[in-house]
Amino acid sequence: MSTKAHIVNTGIITSIGDNTEMCLRSLLEGKSGVGKAEYLSTYWKDELPVCEVKKTNEELAAITNINSSYPRTALLSAIAVQEVLGGYDLSGLRIGFFSANTVGGMDLTESVYGEFKDNPETADFNNIRHHECGAITELVAEHFDISDFVTTISTACSSSANSIMMAVKMIEKGMLDVAVAGGADSMSKFTLNGFNTLMILDKEPCQPFDNNRRGLNLGEGAGYVLLMSNEAMQRCSANSICIVNGYANANDAYHQTASSPDGIGNKLAMSNALKKAGLQPKDVDYINLHGTGTANNDSSEGKAVQDIFEGTIPKASSTKAYTGHTLGAAGGVEAVFSTLSIRDGIVYPNMRWQTQMEDIDWGVVTELQTGQDIKHVLSNSFGFGGNCSSLVFSKI
Amino acid sequence: MELYINSAGIISAAGNNIGEGYLSTHDYNTTALYSADADYKAYIPVMQLRRMSKAVRMGVVASKVAMQKAGVAKPDAITVGTAYGCLQDTERFLDKMVNQDEQMLTPTAFIQSTHNTVSGQIALLSKCNGHNLTFVHKGHSFEHALIDAQMYLEDNNSGGVLVGGIDELTENSINALQLGGVGTNESLSTENVIRGGNKGAVIGEGAAFFYITKQPVADKYIKINALNIFKSTDESKAVDRIKSFVNALTDIDTVLLGDNGGNSSSLLYNKLVESAFPNIATAKFKHLCGEFPTASSFALGMLSQYVEIGEMPIELNAPAKHIVLINNFKQYYSCWGLELSV
Repeated sequence: MSTKAHIVNTGIITSIGDNTEMCLRSLLEGKSGVGKAEYLSTYWKDELPVCEVKKTNEELAAITNINSSYPRTALLSAIAVQEVLGGYDLSGLRIGFFSANTVGGMDLTESVYGEFKDNPETADFNNIRHHECGAITELVAEHFDISDFVTTISTACSSSANSIMMAVKMIEKGMLDVAVAGGADSMSKFTLNGFNTLMILDKEPCQPFDNNRRGLNLGEGAGYVLLMSNEAMQRCSANSICIVNGYANANDAYHQTASSPDGIGNKLAMSNALKKAGLQPKDVDYINLHGTGTANNDSSEGKAVQDIFEGTIPKASSTKAYTGHTLGAAGGVEAVFSTLSIRDGIVYPNMRWQTQMEDIDWGVVTELQTGQDIKHVLSNSFGFGGNCSSLVFSKI
Repeated sequence: MELYINSAGIISAAGNNIGEGYLSTHDYNTTALYSADADYKAYIPVMQLRRMSKAVRMGVVASKVAMQKAGVAKPDAITVGTAYGCLQDTERFLDKMVNQDEQMLTPTAFIQSTHNTVSGQIALLSKCNGHNLTFVHKGHSFEHALIDAQMYLEDNNSGGVLVGGIDELTENSINALQLGGVGTNESLSTENVIRGGNKGAVIGEGAAFFYITKQPVADKYIKINALNIFKSTDESKAVDRIKSFVNALTDIDTVLLGDNGGNSSSLLYNKLVESAFPNIATAKFKHLCGEFPTASSFALGMLSQYVEIGEMPIELNAPAKHIVLINNFKQYYSCWGLELSV
């Protein structure tokens, strides 16, 4: 392999901040983004707390000067992409855009669906035009004029971990020099109601990896890393924060929505990612858990971690108590947090944790730890369809 | 690129290749072509079948046919391309959500509306724990799935990947494609579509899955020698790029064109043929399957049938060994250099 894929910059927007440093400050200060829905108009707004980005579509669009009539997911994506691109002069380099999402333009589609179904001629077609997931990626790619390779992956909650994995592979193989990789998802009534029918939404702020956890809070946002080959990094005078050292996707092949009790897919993803990185489990300094706060996920993931790390469990925490579960953005958001963990030597606390889980023999980190030497971070993202992904970030 | 297509499972408006089935020409007069009924029960238990939307049925069965024909029980990895995902289930949930004001909803349609439902179901049914991705990038969804499979095979020197393209139609999506300028709102006959120059295209749907390896499994295969994909809103630039792709290849027997019969499509392909390869035989395929973002997969499926049984619904110039496939869905182009071993 001729080159590693270096992370040289991050871009993010979530309910806890509009950019990397704001999100980091919230993580350090223990500020959660969870609250009553103010921007999503839904019957459930008083009952189901969410982690919204506290801005209207017009306010979001103004940040990047993109068309405010685009789906909210595109507006969020553009903000994080603008940040991640930084001020680098990328001219002459082959640039890829690997973006994931699960919701596409559903926020607009659902606003006009009833009318469109009855009378397609008179309904506002602009609210249907960008319905596809791929449309979100294309709108943002066009806005920033990225065209060498542009793709959209949609594998539910592991989507953006997979887009990072594919981007890393294409850089390692010399198919691209630079890649913006991650994902975005906005709130929609469709998603909120869908998760509500599965009875996995917490009516209170969520408590991942707590014995009394009740479910997840949905969140929205976008998160991307800027990846460069050795050569591109030199040309741009960019500095490597860390490399994406390992990656793997595996399938649980157990159930369409639930994880297998022992986390078969979870274990395969973690062990294959470590193998790819050439690391032993004991080398891992921090695990950013998928940790959604549902009974099923945290139990399966907890057992899988226990099996893989056999007695020497690294520091581990879920950051979803801060941001909520941002679905198609989650892998990207947590790749940013993993990168910052290495950059600044931080282990984030698993906020709101109170009670040890009975079915696992290890515990999550509950207090903020700073000044740590974090060399290797494992980040997990698991989703519907048995889709399990793990990424390994390493300091070089 | 050097990949081998060893087998295919195809469900389309032109028929399917389940059991003794094969693709054939068909006469119609319509605005949209739905895939022809297939004997899904032969592959999926009735109870499971009842819960599956059309996209899932088509995808799962096409994948099973491809695996059966290749003689494999499970692949090492699965990659799927679908621009629209599971529209039927998406609309089913959306409909209830809107009509019932977000109350009294049930999860089944929501669960199955997820874009990776088909790839997840295939993994579940074949107990495949391997790499499993779903690409949802418009007219390049299937092509990106293939590129991902290529990288997987490169990294894992042996093994086979199940790669599929799938898109389903609904009444709403037909309306949307007509309003979006792709679909015709006047019924067209097979002859109209072949002749071209119509107001729009007949919209289609289908699923085609392939068992793909780095080395051929048997004597009969399609070798993918080259794949070039690009996006272009400038037609003359697109023609130039296709021209340079074709010029780099030799001994082309037939160029297979993704002309959908709509006015702009016919103009583009006519211009392309005149300027790039006036002396090479050409053939079209979209009058068989209709226009949809993952239609390249149908063309490859049709060629796979030819490799398997020596017959297909269109004629290729003899010896039908080196085929170039040029396809586009709107501004998303793909150019394929193929070698058929019959």
